[in-house]
Amino acid sequence: MTDKTDDKSPPQPPPPQTAPPQTAPPQPAPPNLKWMGKTHQWGTRVKPGKHGLRLGDLNVGIYGEVPPVWTDQTRAPRGAVSRRGVPPLGYAIRDKVDLWADSAADMYEEAIQRRWAPAVDVPWSTVKPLPDDVERSICQVCTELSQYANADVESVTYWQSQMAYGYHEIKQFLATVSFDGARHMEVFRKRALCNGGGLGLEGPGEVNRMILESRGGWTEAVLYLFIVRGLFTQTMYRYLHRYAHNDAERTIFAHCLEDKARHLTYAIDHLRYAVNHQDDQNLILQQLCFIGERVLVRELKDVVLREALTIVFGNGISGAEQGGRIFRRMMSDYITRYLATLKWLGVERRTLFPEELSAYLKAS
Amino acid sequence: MSEAEVLQPSSTLDLGWMDRQGEWGIRAVPGKQGLSLADIQIGSYGEPEERSDNQTGRPRGAGARPNSYRIGGYAVMSKSEIWLDNASFLYEEALQRQWSSATDVPWHTIKPLPDDIEEAECQLATFFTEVEFVAGDVPARWIASTTPDFFEPRQCLLAQVMDESRHMDVFRKRALANGGGLMQTSGGTAGVVGSIDLARDFTEMSSRLHISGEGAVLTMFRMGELMAYNEAEKAMYRLCAQDEARHVAFGVMHMRYMSETAPQRREEIQCYLDEAERQILAGSQNPAGTQTDSSEALAILLGGGKDKYDEGVRKLIAIRKRQVQEYIKRVRSTGFGDRFDNGRSQLIRTFDDHAAA
Repeated sequence: MTDKTDDKSPPQPPPPQTAPPQTAPPQPAPPNLKWMGKTHQWGTRVKPGKHGLRLGDLNVGIYGEVPPVWTDQTRAPRGAVSRRGVPPLGYAIRDKVDLWADSAADMYEEAIQRRWAPAVDVPWSTVKPLPDDVERSICQVCTELSQYANADVESVTYWQSQMAYGYHEIKQFLATVSFDGARHMEVFRKRALCNGGGLGLEGPGEVNRMILESRGGWTEAVLYLFIVRGLFTQTMYRYLHRYAHNDAERTIFAHCLEDKARHLTYAIDHLRYAVNHQDDQNLILQQLCFIGERVLVRELKDVVLREALTIVFGNGISGAEQGGRIFRRMMSDYITRYLATLKWLGVERRTLFPEELSAYLKAS
Repeated sequence: MSEAEVLQPSSTLDLGWMDRQGEWGIRAVPGKQGLSLADIQIGSYGEPEERSDNQTGRPRGAGARPNSYRIGGYAVMSKSEIWLDNASFLYEEALQRQWSSATDVPWHTIKPLPDDIEEAECQLATFFTEVEFVAGDVPARWIASTTPDFFEPRQCLLAQVMDESRHMDVFRKRALANGGGLMQTSGGTAGVVGSIDLARDFTEMSSRLHISGEGAVLTMFRMGELMAYNEAEKAMYRLCAQDEARHVAFGVMHMRYMSETAPQRREEIQCYLDEAERQILAGSQNPAGTQTDSSEALAILLGGGKDKYDEGVRKLIAIRKRQVQEYIKRVRSTGFGDRFDNGRSQLIRTFDDHAAA
């Protein structure tokens, strides 16, 4: 096929309509067929592998060339022939360094393969009446987790629509992240409302505020959403899975853990990419961590979530001493993973790390 | 928090929060479809108020903290702006009917096609790859600016973003799976006044996106059998049609709710429909529109080759007629059907003129 992409003529208005003959039935106008042959690369034949035909498999030839800057402001798919003179849509994020992660296409397909439905995939019949203090605490935890998921959804959907079309793998992966968020919002609400309880008190919102008000770029949002908050949430899921009171809760937290692992994979991959491709990005992240950690400390001063988790882990107020030990171990695990992740990313966190957080490490 | 606080003994539990929770004693029971969103719409956790004052992101029905930050900045705070009666059902159906373009499409059934057919298929796939994520980008923006008190419609929109992501990828996959490639874009989703992207009101956006835009595409997908050359393409169109039908249903049900609960906005909505109808036949976002690359490609696919173009055009006209009929049916269902009876809508006459030409 001939590449006719040098055709730079602007879009043509439609040809004038001509009146059909009065005596013969109307005949279709002949096609102009100018679109035929307009391609940057023909002859592409991607074959499905053992996991089917995956998004990443399509990255062959020019279709796999991901440029450092995507200047096109329309919805031209990567590798397609753009049409000249199309008014722009105003995508704000057009630099690869601001969003890219090599793993996104794989994470996208994995998210689709591991889809689940809270209505039918959680064995709700296994939820049995619990002591009032335990039920109140679980409901409180679920309320805050539902609110966390809401912040995930609002942050991701805000940024996703601003990302240039050329980086479609990221936009598509983020569609799965916000859909995961929808499921998490839903499943924690369902758990709170299915066992004689109700929703608890809303969370203090310090970290949600930090996530939603991070306007310095998607990379900043990734740090706060997936690393500062995300690692915390994932650690909490792990402990709630371990100390679940029934199979329904175990199923919920197992699914949520799987989802969260994908989000973290993307986040770590993206931050690593940003640090490796942008001068001083590690210093910017360090500064953002310094701020974010103090916001987290302020939120942790609120006793509500801490007490609720303590009671859940201790199986009641009477077991709060044991529950408190488990809570502190959870916090220690979180901080250990947080610091290890940042170290791997090349972000130094020995300086000015909050004493309130390092105390958990010393106590464990 | 000091180290002493971290290591506090259990005896210092405050527990005051236990008296500040939402309504207590709720026991939602799973139905035969599991524990659905509709099943948990009970007590004070049922329908939201007409006007939301929630700017903190609080889950609907949770206890409020008077000292919470107003971090939402939500623009959509009135129920009539976004609500619909069957959002819970549509969301649960979306979850049940998720599919994978990697494994649920029998890609091995795609065999080499004549050049003109493959080129037409790739042109159409390029068009769909370009336009399908309009319905991903735009709803995403509205999700972030809608109060979580109206979470049921938001959940539907989140499912839609996911669906559209899959549509974008399945058509890209088709374009690159059979010896072809992507072709030229239509530019039909530009940022111009009256476009889906630029709407500053949710119902305005929904009338263009769900009622006219996706409605036209739904008709196309439903006719997929006519333009498919293998089981893979049939599966693509069938699965996409299933998703689009939910999105269109969202728009219809929302507009119906709006019509019933905010009659003072009826004339404004009629103006959006005027605009949508002008765009339906203009064809920029309609693959079966007039004088577009995608309509020529469709005619080749429907006719069975470049040399049977005229036959394809006749089938295409039938599809366009069906698009208009289905659009009219949908608008009647929303409660705005009077426009077709009182002469306001130019759609039927214009369509007849186009068809004759």
